Amino acid sequence: MTRRFGWAVVLFGLFLTLFPTGLRAQSAYESKTGHAEFTSSMPGFTFTGKSDHLVGKITLPDSTVDFYLDLTTVDTGIGMRNRDMRETLDTKKYPFASFYGKLISPFDITQKETQPATVSGNFKVHGVSRQVTIQGKLTPTGQGVRVEASWTLMLKDYNIKPPSILFYKVDQEQKIHIKTLLTPIQ
Amino acid sequence: MSFKKTTFLSVLFLITYQLSHAQMKRERVNPGGPVETTFWAQTIVGMSTLETLPKHNLNATIMHAFGLATDRPIKEFFGLDIPPNVRLGVDYGLTDRWTLGLGRTTFQKVYDVRSKYALLRQTKSESMPLSLTLKGDLALSTQKDNRPLGDDLSWLLGAPLGKKFSDQLSLQLEPMYAHFNTPVLVGGQQNDLWSLGVGGEYHLSQHFALSFEYYPILGKRNEGTKNAFSLAFNINTGGHVFQLFFASSDWTTEQYILAENNSNFWAGDFRFGFNINRMFWLAGKH
Repeated sequence: MTRRFGWAVVLFGLFLTLFPTGLRAQSAYESKTGHAEFTSSMPGFTFTGKSDHLVGKITLPDSTVDFYLDLTTVDTGIGMRNRDMRETLDTKKYPFASFYGKLISPFDITQKETQPATVSGNFKVHGVSRQVTIQGKLTPTGQGVRVEASWTLMLKDYNIKPPSILFYKVDQEQKIHIKTLLTPIQ
Repeated sequence: MSFKKTTFLSVLFLITYQLSHAQMKRERVNPGGPVETTFWAQTIVGMSTLETLPKHNLNATIMHAFGLATDRPIKEFFGLDIPPNVRLGVDYGLTDRWTLGLGRTTFQKVYDVRSKYALLRQTKSESMPLSLTLKGDLALSTQKDNRPLGDDLSWLLGAPLGKKFSDQLSLQLEPMYAHFNTPVLVGGQQNDLWSLGVGGEYHLSQHFALSFEYYPILGKRNEGTKNAFSLAFNINTGGHVFQLFFASSDWTTEQYILAENNSNFWAGDFRFGFNINRMFWLAGKH
């Protein structure tokens, strides 16, 4: 009995490993062209950094949520400010901001209306990883799943020193917003 | 090995395999792309850098050079009492490679149009080890002199060629050709002037840098002129670049620097000045 059970486990593992990607894909969705932006404030002035290179993946069976962004793709509109932002985030050493966690709210892919979603996991930037819970929205569409989320990040929580010189001082609080359409993995 | 051990190791392997494949591999979008920000500003002091503005960026500049600091320093308060030469200008990034600018200088009421095009861009992968930019400047002196308009024209062609050696150090060479339709406009004799400019910038920190520029004249020069030199301290705030400098020339337009500099920096003939560069984004809110 034990021997049979052992073989069954091994075969099941092999089945999971070798199972054709295409067949597993229907329950996983991804995108490499999602939109991410942050809004930064300083006295009397705000600016936004934007990127359309957000990479994201949601695997529904195990509720895994995995997103990352190459921070060097973020554009604030002014070349000098981009350079300043990259030095502040030390993108040579820490090129990515990432989130890896679980969808902890119920989600029904067969329902076509927008559903509130909560994810919990580790958000990492500037080499510092912190446990976060983020609220967002998931909308099943004919093409896949539309994802939208916003949250606020405090620079000090990630050991990021806000640029501060003369009359130019960036606020601690950064508003983050992402939106993307995840399509089924083929 | 017993069957139990084999089973245990197999399951452990498979679980590890599955978990290791759960998180996506983090991949950079363009790790070998163009090197960014070889120089902080469009000019070192007066010398054009190889840097062009990103598309839709507007750079507003105030370039301000006082009189000689060492000529009667107490009476003239180190040159600050002497009427300064001021150039007000704007540059705009038509594309990421092509910048167009306009300016107006106090002395001789000179208006100039300048343009730069980034022909080659250094890449992080070193597939292109250098950056090369083509630069042109057309200037018109509008000071009343009873001469035909064409006589008041001058222009400069340059080709800044340089490299960002590290996050701290960038250097460039700029072959320059200047032409004055009427050299007497600047008290000179030569219609044509050649120079091989040298410039560099060294970043002391994220916000501070030292820079220099040198204009050795090649071939014939206007009588009494000297090779111009400037030394600057740069403060970068992200949206502004302030340049505080000591310079031999009171001009910040290259053809005039080549044609009219009578001061020898190394003999102590220098003046104080400052440039303010302010960057704006002109394509909607960012």
